[in-house]
Order: sequence, then C-alpha cells, then structure tokens
Amino acid sequence: MVEIVIDEDACVGCGSCVEDCPNDVYEMDEAKNKTKVVKVEDCMACLSCHEICPAQAMEHQDIHVAKRLYIDRSVKDAINRII
Amino acid sequence: MNGEIEEIRGTFKPELIPAATGGNIDDYEKALHTLMKFVGSMSSALEQVSGRGANAIVYQAGKRMGHEASKLMEKTDDLEKAMGELSEVLGQEFYFEMWKPSSQDNYTVERGDETEVKLLFMDCVVRQTLRRTGLPQKGPLCYLLYGYIVGAVEEVMDIRGKLDIDHIGPNACLKTLTIKWSGK
Repeated sequence: MVEIVIDEDACVGCGSCVEDCPNDVYEMDEAKNKTKVVKVEDCMACLSCHEICPAQAMEHQDIHVAKRLYIDRSVKDAINRII
Repeated sequence: MNGEIEEIRGTFKPELIPAATGGNIDDYEKALHTLMKFVGSMSSALEQVSGRGANAIVYQAGKRMGHEASKLMEKTDDLEKAMGELSEVLGQEFYFEMWKPSSQDNYTVERGDETEVKLLFMDCVVRQTLRRTGLPQKGPLCYLLYGYIVGAVEEVMDIRGKLDIDHIGPNACLKTLTIKWSGK
C-alpha cells in the first residue's frame, strides 16, 4: 500500500500537486496553506507530483520504482562521492 | 585503462551460438545509451519532417511489432487473460498492471459494445529513452508502444482495439485500452 509523507516545513502551499494529480489524491488544507493527502488509495505512483513540486516536499513509500537505465552509472557514482 | 578504448583480441571461428557475447556491463550501458540517443534523434527528426504524421508512422510500426510478437500466443476472448499474455509479450521492459480507481469495482468497464481497461505502465524503455534524450512524453515514440499493445491485443483476441493516454508521469503512465467487440 502506497504511503505519501508530506514535509509540511518544506511545502510552500503552491497547490501544483493538487492541480497536477489526475486522481485527486491531494487537497489544499486552507487553514494551514499546505497540501494534504486525502485519497492515498487512488495514488498510482506516477510521481508527477514529485516532478512538479518546487520544494521536493513529498515522499512516496512502498511503490514500484521504475527502472532508470538512462542514467550513467559513472556520473551517478561521481555525484554520490561529492554529495 | 580509463578513457581509452580497450581492444579485444582473440581467435574467432564460425559457431552457431557464440559461447560469449563479449563486453561487460559498461559496454552494454554505453550501447544502450547510444541506441537511446539514435532512437530519440530519429523520433524528433521524424516529427520535424512529417509533423503529426510521425505518430501514425510510428504507431503502424509498433502495431506490426505487436502482431509479430503475439503470433504464437494462445488466442482468447477473455480480456483479463489477454492482459496476462500481453504482459508476457511485453516482458520486464514494459512492465504493466491493470489499474482501477478505488471507486470502481472491476478492472473492466463495459460501454455498449466496447470494453475499457486501464493499464498502468510502470517500467517503459520508451519513457527511459525520452528521458535520456530530453524529449517530452506523449510524442511519436510513445505511439510505438500504443501500436505494440494494440497489435498484440488484436492478435491475441482477434478484435479491434485502441489505446489512449490518460496521464503521463516520470514513474508510471496510465493508459486506457478500449476494445470493440463488434470489430471482430
């Protein structure tokens, strides 16, 4: 079962994820001006919300992570050494 | 040595199935990335020259591949069984599952003489190629997969089908497969 964790300190309340999600998984919490997860059962883990979120405020747990064979392993290793 | 091309020298003799393919994982990675670049370039050039006609050309190519790949599969009228067979044809590189929103009871939805099923493509070499080459999703290359699926379904079920994109994402894409029973 997918679990979505929102980092409320990072969320800037732009609502991009609410607009972008095709399955209405998110809603704006007007009182807090932050996004909140309302329909996690409809999340298909497309991760469009990750791509659109300017604050990288969300984390999807227990999902199928697609293969990323397009990444250069040598570049990835070099970046890992720096970070 | 780093950065230098290592030449492979040895004896070569004709054989039906070579004992070794040569090269290691790094060679495979480079070859894959080069191919991704070629395919991406071809797709964008095709779009530049043929405009929206590029989609039709690539779709037709995919459809032919789908028919070819499924020729030996068992024929069935059962859509869910056909999806299982389709999954075998597409393999790990186009890993998909049937998907439904929580408000829906079954995977399939009947609309008159049509049946719809939503397919969630999680692993997709087309998507990976597009990301490697910086091309947007939903372009001509995506039509290769549509054609492939439709061709395979038509072959397995002996029926007319079409595929529409519902949503594209970096980790999964949702598509609706519609089959028309009267098209048999």
